[in-house]
Amino acid sequence: MSDKLIDRRDLHFLLFEMFEVERLLEHEYYEDHSTTTFKLALDTAYQLAQELFWPSFSEFDKNPAYFDGEKTIVPESMHKIWAAFKEGGWFAASFAYEHGGQQFPGMVHLAALYMFNAGNTAASMYLGQATGAAQLIEGFGSESLKKVYMHKLFAGDWAGTMALTEPQAGTSLGDITTSATPVEGEDYYIIRGTKRFISSGDHDLTENIIHPTLAKIDGAPPGVKGISLFIVPKYRVNDDGSIGAPNDVITAGIERKLGLKGQATAELKFGENDECRGWLLGEPHCGLKYMFQLMNSARVHTGLQAIAQASTAYQCALQYAKERVQGREVTEHDPATPQIPIINHPEVRRMLLRQKAFIEGVVSLLIYCGALSDRLRVAGSKEEEDTCRALLEILTPVCKAYGSDVAYESIMLALQCYGGAGYIEEYPIAQILRDNRVFPIYEGTNEIQAMDLLGRKVAVDQGAYLRALMGEIAKTLAEAGTMDALGGQTGKVQEAMEAITEVTMHLAAIGLSGDHKTYISHATPYLRAFSQLVIAWQFLWQSVVAQRALDSDAGDATFYEGKIATAKYYIDAILPSTHTICHLIKSGEDSALNFKEEWFGATHPSVTA
Amino acid sequence: MKIAVLMKRVPDTASVFKIGADNKSVETDNLKYVMSPYDEHALEEAIQTKEAGKADEVFVITVGPDAAKETIRTALAMGADRAVFVKDDAASDTNCKGTAMILAAALKTEAPELIFAGKQAVDDDASQVPERVAELLDIPHASVVTSFELNDGTALVEREIEGGHYKMEMALPALFTTQKGINTPRYPTLPNIMKAKKKEIKELTFADIGLSAADVASGVTIEEMALPRQDRLNKILDGDNDERVAQLLSVLREEEKVL
Ligand SMILES: Cc1cc2nc3c(=O)[nH]c(=O)nc-3n(C[C@H](O)[C@H](O)[C@H](O)COP(=O)(O)OP(=O)(O)OC[C@H]3O[C@@H](n4cnc5c(N)ncnc54)[C@H](O)[C@@H]3O)c2cc1C
Repeated sequence: MSDKLIDRRDLHFLLFEMFEVERLLEHEYYEDHSTTTFKLALDTAYQLAQELFWPSFSEFDKNPAYFDGEKTIVPESMHKIWAAFKEGGWFAASFAYEHGGQQFPGMVHLAALYMFNAGNTAASMYLGQATGAAQLIEGFGSESLKKVYMHKLFAGDWAGTMALTEPQAGTSLGDITTSATPVEGEDYYIIRGTKRFISSGDHDLTENIIHPTLAKIDGAPPGVKGISLFIVPKYRVNDDGSIGAPNDVITAGIERKLGLKGQATAELKFGENDECRGWLLGEPHCGLKYMFQLMNSARVHTGLQAIAQASTAYQCALQYAKERVQGREVTEHDPATPQIPIINHPEVRRMLLRQKAFIEGVVSLLIYCGALSDRLRVAGSKEEEDTCRALLEILTPVCKAYGSDVAYESIMLALQCYGGAGYIEEYPIAQILRDNRVFPIYEGTNEIQAMDLLGRKVAVDQGAYLRALMGEIAKTLAEAGTMDALGGQTGKVQEAMEAITEVTMHLAAIGLSGDHKTYISHATPYLRAFSQLVIAWQFLWQSVVAQRALDSDAGDATFYEGKIATAKYYIDAILPSTHTICHLIKSGEDSALNFKEEWFGATHPSVTA
Repeated sequence: MKIAVLMKRVPDTASVFKIGADNKSVETDNLKYVMSPYDEHALEEAIQTKEAGKADEVFVITVGPDAAKETIRTALAMGADRAVFVKDDAASDTNCKGTAMILAAALKTEAPELIFAGKQAVDDDASQVPERVAELLDIPHASVVTSFELNDGTALVEREIEGGHYKMEMALPALFTTQKGINTPRYPTLPNIMKAKKKEIKELTFADIGLSAADVASGVTIEEMALPRQDRLNKILDGDNDERVAQLLSVLREEEKVL
């Protein structure tokens, strides 16, 4: 199999043909780049994914991370992966030269991360979190914090985390109780509290781990308005940059979990001995705002992680379906004829097609978001900046929630293609399915994403974000409208756009009437209907590009025809449920809101644990 | 000291190969190309030698169509200092003999003291070009090298031979072909990818090196190409249990070489 993990042809199509990454070369920021640097980076990423990440994938399941009472041990191959990543300069790939980066476009970096995650997501998490912590410090840290921590993180000398969740505060971050007490005459605070489920929370990969940590300064206002962000290192750092005393961050344990077992998901105790020092990042009480800046890109990345795994599962299932012979054509009645590969059965073919459509639709949206962040960097006007920001804001929950929901569905279909073999640990699908189940949960559950979309993103500025999105969709409709070959699909996307506009107005009226509970109770179905429009739009756009290539006889017709057929399948077979959902919402379907708790039946307290 | 690395752009062996309609060539439309894996070892050995302070410069040299420049860029991103590229769209008509003539002619102007090459190219597996180049340059060579050590003006190498190793010392200039296990080729790094763009690729034509297409014509006609048949080779062992165990052991040791 040449493309075991991802479809490189499709990625090339998105980067070079659809989102035209080479157009960035006109801008000064990218002037040292060329098509060659992009291609070399992508080739190298693929090589790393195939030769380093993927071969360690099953080891991460067989040798879970564990705490031996003193230190946390991670899968052996993670050390090799970390070293290669550091050596290659990948931690800061898309960051500025002054931070040790190479100023690669965000969309090229995203494409590389897609490949790494397709190879081994748990491993990629260790790596991505160092970059994330560095990015926070870069955005909001004082010069002295930058000097001490940022370069080490961007260089991959030290690792990072994101420490938000506490036992009593997961979704509801306003309820965190970790405290920060100022110390007279010092630039640090004393941190006390327990953080739970912290990815990459402890390990032996680097000599220090930097925890950006949410805490409340003594006397802070209640709720989210009282949250501040601190930099809490595992070891203190001496003035000369060398590692100093332990900083009273104690690992209480590493979780045993459904999947991502090589990931050290830690419970951390800060300040058990009142010796844990944290340095305030930015202004007091603004912690959540800062964290959200990182979280937006982290949420796009979550969608990316999820769909990257779906891609690997699909590539495996596709190969399996070509090799596994079982049964005969329904029209073949002679039992003496040989059995046929299962890919010939329409039922199997549909499962494969559905996977392909989910993956190609979501990856397109993800790379588009990368392209938007690149456009934002080089934007020539305030207006363009605002548009890019608006689009990123409104598409983030779609990437995260729709991306992870359909990724899981896609992997279930991949497993189904394998039949019984899919359920057996000898094949990779079982592990992929388990690993993948976390993405609808972390970085804000998908329910929270749906509420973010309907409650915030759609409503902001009297629908300004939504108008920006509809404007972009209208552009694609106009272009597709000039191409006869795409007539059928264009009409259907247009209708879905009208349905979403209508249902949004319907909901807005409910919201304006003050019935916020009813309004927000439609969040999850709304997100699904909305996301399907977004993905259908991406597919229509892909079709325009593919049809043009076909019209110009550019060669590779198989790819372009397959692309248009995939788009047609999504628009014909998946998009229509958008109308059903919109109908339901407009009909006032309110079971979720009004179903009484006692109607669910009685429970016994012992069943939860 | 100057080190040359002979490099070939080959189809990725993970590609799906199809024989063309003429039954005499491979369809190239959907092939993805890479540096021949043994050449990666050659390049790695050259870079390590330079990093150890024992050489001043590493350059790669290749003959091929324009697209071979992509592979050259990979070599530059791995750490080669520059490249010599003999552009030849007619190279498809040449074979090992012609390729060796081209490389040797181009290398004469460069006069490297040390030459590395992969022990074979994974497309046609001929294992001929480097040895022919050494002959044409009239320098000694050692093939299938698994360990390389450079001392003052000489190289101490180990070659892999049937069932063992062969240690030899040779005076430079000399050519060596590398076998897997000699080193672990590095991946290009992003900073090196950025630098690769600015490194020199010296382009030469046949005329520049005093050759014509006729000089290097292959003189071989391909009658037919076919994919290997994938029949299972069954072997049924006869005799009593002891005899069959003995036969099995001998097959595993001598034919399959897994013991
Ligand atoms: C493997 C793994 C890695 C993780 N890594 C990190 C990490 O690195 N850093 C970190 O800080 N956290 C991390 N987390 C924590 C993760 O972000 C939380 O688990 C998640 O935010 C949900 O919080 P919770 O578990 O407390 O669930 P709860 O908040 O208790 O939610 C339970 C259910 O109720 C729903 N719900 C809760 N509140 C509402 C509401 N207001 N409206 C509607 N529905 C609601 C949720 O959607 C969910 O379905 C990780 C978790 C896991 C499993």
